[in-house]
Amino acid sequence: MTGANGTALSATGLHTFYGKSHILHGVSLEVAAGRITTLLGRNGAGKTTTLRSLIGLTPAREGRITIFGQETTRWPSFRVAALGVGYVPEGRRIFPNLSVEENLKVPLERSGPWSIARIYDLFPRLHERRHNRGRQLSGGEQQMLAIARALLVNPRLLMLDEPSQGLAPLVVREMFRIVEQMRSEGISVLLVEQNARMSLAIADHAYVLDDGAIVYSGPAKALAADEERVQALAGAGAGEWQADDSPLNGLSERYRNA
Amino acid sequence: MSSLVILNVANGVVTGAFFVLMALGLSLILNLSGIINFAHGGFLALGGYIAFALSKYVGFLGALLLAPFLAAILGLAIEWTLIRRLYGRDPLYSLLLTFGLAFIFQDGTRYLWGAQGLPMAIPAFLAQPISDSLFFVTRYRLFNLAIVALIVALLFVLLRHTRFGIRIRAGTLDLETVAALGVNVRLLRSFNFGVGILLAGLGGVLAAGQFRLDPTMGDDYLMPSFIAIIVGGVGSLGGTVLGGLLIGIATGVTTVYLPSASEAVMYVMMAVVLLIRPRGLFGEEGMMS
Ligand SMILES: Nc1ncnc2c1ncn2[C@@H]1O[C@H](COP(=O)(O)OP(=O)(O)OP(=O)(O)O)[C@@H](O)[C@H]1O
Ligand SMILES: [Mg+2]
Repeated sequence: MTGANGTALSATGLHTFYGKSHILHGVSLEVAAGRITTLLGRNGAGKTTTLRSLIGLTPAREGRITIFGQETTRWPSFRVAALGVGYVPEGRRIFPNLSVEENLKVPLERSGPWSIARIYDLFPRLHERRHNRGRQLSGGEQQMLAIARALLVNPRLLMLDEPSQGLAPLVVREMFRIVEQMRSEGISVLLVEQNARMSLAIADHAYVLDDGAIVYSGPAKALAADEERVQALAGAGAGEWQADDSPLNGLSERYRNA
Repeated sequence: MSSLVILNVANGVVTGAFFVLMALGLSLILNLSGIINFAHGGFLALGGYIAFALSKYVGFLGALLLAPFLAAILGLAIEWTLIRRLYGRDPLYSLLLTFGLAFIFQDGTRYLWGAQGLPMAIPAFLAQPISDSLFFVTRYRLFNLAIVALIVALLFVLLRHTRFGIRIRAGTLDLETVAALGVNVRLLRSFNFGVGILLAGLGGVLAAGQFRLDPTMGDDYLMPSFIAIIVGGVGSLGGTVLGGLLIGIATGVTTVYLPSASEAVMYVMMAVVLLIRPRGLFGEEGMMS
């Protein structure tokens, strides 16, 4: 069920509440195995709430979640993660009081190809800064650390919540390149983003969420071609991103405060 | 006069060492689980009484080794059945529960061992003074200090260099993210609670050897230990150690010059530290760093 044509995750009819406020109104979505699925939507649409429901941090009150063939609907988040789900939370949530290396020792050690040594190969910058506290890192470095931390669970499914938020353009490109690389590693990806253009460029399938309900589901290419919709999704920031071809190995000091 | 001061500073350091053991356990439980454990003094007394019962069979040193673990196992059972239900709720619930537990421990030990103080026999070689000139310092006091220093060092190694300890430190700031990274946070909290009770139980055995056993013995340490945490800075383990020793010495020395104020002095210290540094001596934003 995790083969090339299989489904990594499927959710049907999720209703999620914060106290009395009803946030998700019957969200259903699927993440195909080995593919990148992106979940787009404007501020407050419910993207973060959807991911939190899927990982079990804010359990859905109604609905059903199946991950790699297991029904995980009522599971606590540590059990969901232990199934092989890596989670990169909104705002990164780096442990500020721990060093970079200690941050990397927090995740469960599921067996698999990822080790701290391999993480340092992929992110040389994290190796350089391994003795620095989490709070001393730049935004870009923190985002890399958040992704690295999730990879150390050796995930079969990676869920990222706005990994490009607040990063400089070059770092954003680096970040999307890494997400693409994860797909070639065979990891299924659910990518929540505000940066509609770039997500659609790497994604296979796209969903659009609005007011807690899915309003679009289709191939990412098809949505990308619909300039009007993309404009609406991307809002004011649509034209701001400029391509920049200068090579980037690791993360530059220049983006320390990105 | 000066030897009287030395005597009381020495006494203060030894008493402070008990505060340190208590305060470190309280601090672990408070920081990771948000529980203010009013039963901590009860666990200390329990450690002492268990050691008293065991020492007939395995001697003092055997009891010193075993009793803290038995106290910790009982602590785990209580965490498992009662305390864990209150995680994430209003702190008032856990205050009420642990307050109630403190009374149950007190009455339980009173019922089993009686209300009168019981002497705990220590090995003869520890009961001697360290020298003729320092006749007032028994070897047992140095032994106490050495054990506490060893345990504090081990605790620091645990928290800095093991994944278990690193996860506890991460969890003090953001337990939700620790859970989302696949760590069984229920077990993490349980073991952390167990470690805290282990420290209290050890304190109980050591205190029983120095003073004697009575059902309320833990109460004398509870308030000073809370104050030690606040003076040192909530979340800073190094600060907690320093706070415990400072409170111990301050009360020890005040006993000489102004006996009636020996209790009040720790509250004064707390007020002064909080006025100058509201976060305590070593309190900083990153907890347990
Ligand atoms: N803890 C909370 N308590 C109450 N309401 C919340 C809470 N978190 C989010 N909400 C509300 O739920 C709705 C959806 O929020 P959510 O964070 O899921 O949106 P989002 O799509 O991730 O937005 P953004 O792009 O700004 O991150 C919003 O109306 C928000 O105000
Ligand atoms: Mg969000």
